[in-house]
Amino acid sequence: MTPFIFAALLFGAVPIALVLILTAVWYIAESGNTVLFDSFMQQLFSGVENYGLLAIPLFMLTGELMNEGGMTTRLINAARVFVGGFRGGLAYINLLANMFMAAIIGSAASQIAVMSRAMVPAMEAEGYDKGFAAATTAAGGLLAPVIPPSMLFVIYGVLAQIPIGDMFLAGIIPGFILVVVFCLVITLIGFFREMPKGVWMTRKEAQAALLACLPAALIPVSIIGGILFGIATPTESAAVASLIAFLIGWLIYREIKPARLGTLFARTARNASMVIFMIAAANVFGWVIIYEALPQKLAALITTITADPFTFLLIVNIALLVVGMLIDGIAALILVTPILLPIAMNNYNIDPFHFGVVMSLNLVLGLLTPPVGVGLYIASAMSGASPGQILRALWPFLLAVTGVLILLSYVPWLSTALI
Amino acid sequence: MLASLSRSWARVEIALASFCAVLVTVLILLNVVTRALNASIYWVDEAAIYAMVWMCFLAASAALHERSAVSVTLLRDWLGEKGQNWLGRAVDICVLIFAIALLYFAWRWLMPLDLLKAGFDVEAFQGETFNFVYAEPTTTLGIRKIWVWSVLGLFVFGTLLHAVANLLSPLPKAKQSVQT
Repeated sequence: MTPFIFAALLFGAVPIALVLILTAVWYIAESGNTVLFDSFMQQLFSGVENYGLLAIPLFMLTGELMNEGGMTTRLINAARVFVGGFRGGLAYINLLANMFMAAIIGSAASQIAVMSRAMVPAMEAEGYDKGFAAATTAAGGLLAPVIPPSMLFVIYGVLAQIPIGDMFLAGIIPGFILVVVFCLVITLIGFFREMPKGVWMTRKEAQAALLACLPAALIPVSIIGGILFGIATPTESAAVASLIAFLIGWLIYREIKPARLGTLFARTARNASMVIFMIAAANVFGWVIIYEALPQKLAALITTITADPFTFLLIVNIALLVVGMLIDGIAALILVTPILLPIAMNNYNIDPFHFGVVMSLNLVLGLLTPPVGVGLYIASAMSGASPGQILRALWPFLLAVTGVLILLSYVPWLSTALI
Repeated sequence: MLASLSRSWARVEIALASFCAVLVTVLILLNVVTRALNASIYWVDEAAIYAMVWMCFLAASAALHERSAVSVTLLRDWLGEKGQNWLGRAVDICVLIFAIALLYFAWRWLMPLDLLKAGFDVEAFQGETFNFVYAEPTTTLGIRKIWVWSVLGLFVFGTLLHAVANLLSPLPKAKQSVQT
């Protein structure tokens, strides 16, 4: 009965956190283990009493401050210096700017929203097809959850009980691979259809653009540098980054009004709590998973099919692609990690960092695929291109990400080399 | 009346949650600065974590009022207007069941009647019930943890209020909001 209740609530549009809690309540009542109700509230609370989770509101705040502080346009201008003169220059600029942004923002949905607003009109004005412009931007958004900092990695790190800083490091090489592959996709598309020619900046313009971007570049440097050199925990890096973002936006770019801070903090509290409360709910749902021995049962089933870690990862990838199409990435990660990670580690000896990178990239792909592709709809709403129009231009990118996903599944070293 | 009370309470919840978000930021920054000066304050981490948990429960309750929590809307979007309204009401009922369940769990956990019977004497209460909820200390803050846990009381109150108010007021056009 419990799985039925779970499915009915989940697809009945009940908030996901409540689905998890109500399913757990039902399961406990059904199994007669009602003594668990005595500590239910405590369990709900202790699920989020976790230092690592502090990084979530702080990274969200950094993103908010950065949007408000006018850093996006400066990052785009700086990207123009490096790739602006190539044929299809703006498409490459879009990608490079997305890479910079990904090193500041940890959420694909918000990155797609910001970048679509900034890049699509500019690309359209230079003669690019609107669908292609929106598709390039949406694909660039996929870099956000892979290049550190990443919200998905923070949550995965907490669920898997592994250091979040190391998890961030695991994403760096896969992030660069994605950038290179996306560049190749744009180049390939350029062979089939004419792209507008870009112009190189003059030396003076380039210097001015780089100089203007320099303060903003401090943010990713402080985040990644702090973690890479072990100076600060990811949580502390996030706090420092938010302070830098505020000071730059306020004192240097003069675009943040301190009076707006209240709104920014309120939005941060709302968005962060949505995620953190789901984790609290997942903690009580953990009872169902543990008492039902779900991982063990699933492991028994899967190990009869294959003993090879790569095949296992391929099966997981196919399953998660379907899950990611139906459920929001963060919610899906919270749901499946406690079930799949024990199998991956115990039965297939897969490194938890490697597994985290593969799972996160996979689930985030669902952001751009119908029927629930939230990222697709955001890009559509922000750019004015229809979802179908974007999807028609997006498929080469989706195919490329699938290829990268298979590569990352096959070569664990790509995720674990920097740790 | 109930609807406006729910709206006002949600506003209070968001205001408090925003304050907690400020507190989290300030405390972690304080930690960075004091550690750099080799003068770390030992209770800051725990305080920051509790500020975050308070933020989480306060804003989560307000999200029920705003009907803005993440959900899978795949089926709902396929339904016609009538079906969507039915489903909306069913969701409201689920939220109410959730709120009542929380109230029941809080009751079982805090045993207020037994505490009353013991004349609010925590030691006598513990001797009777072997429930140490009122005596558990925090690790570094030097206060009893029940004060920190008290946000769950606000959470139960908020969810109950919002659930009943939502059920009694007309359904708005629902929207989905997510962060991935």
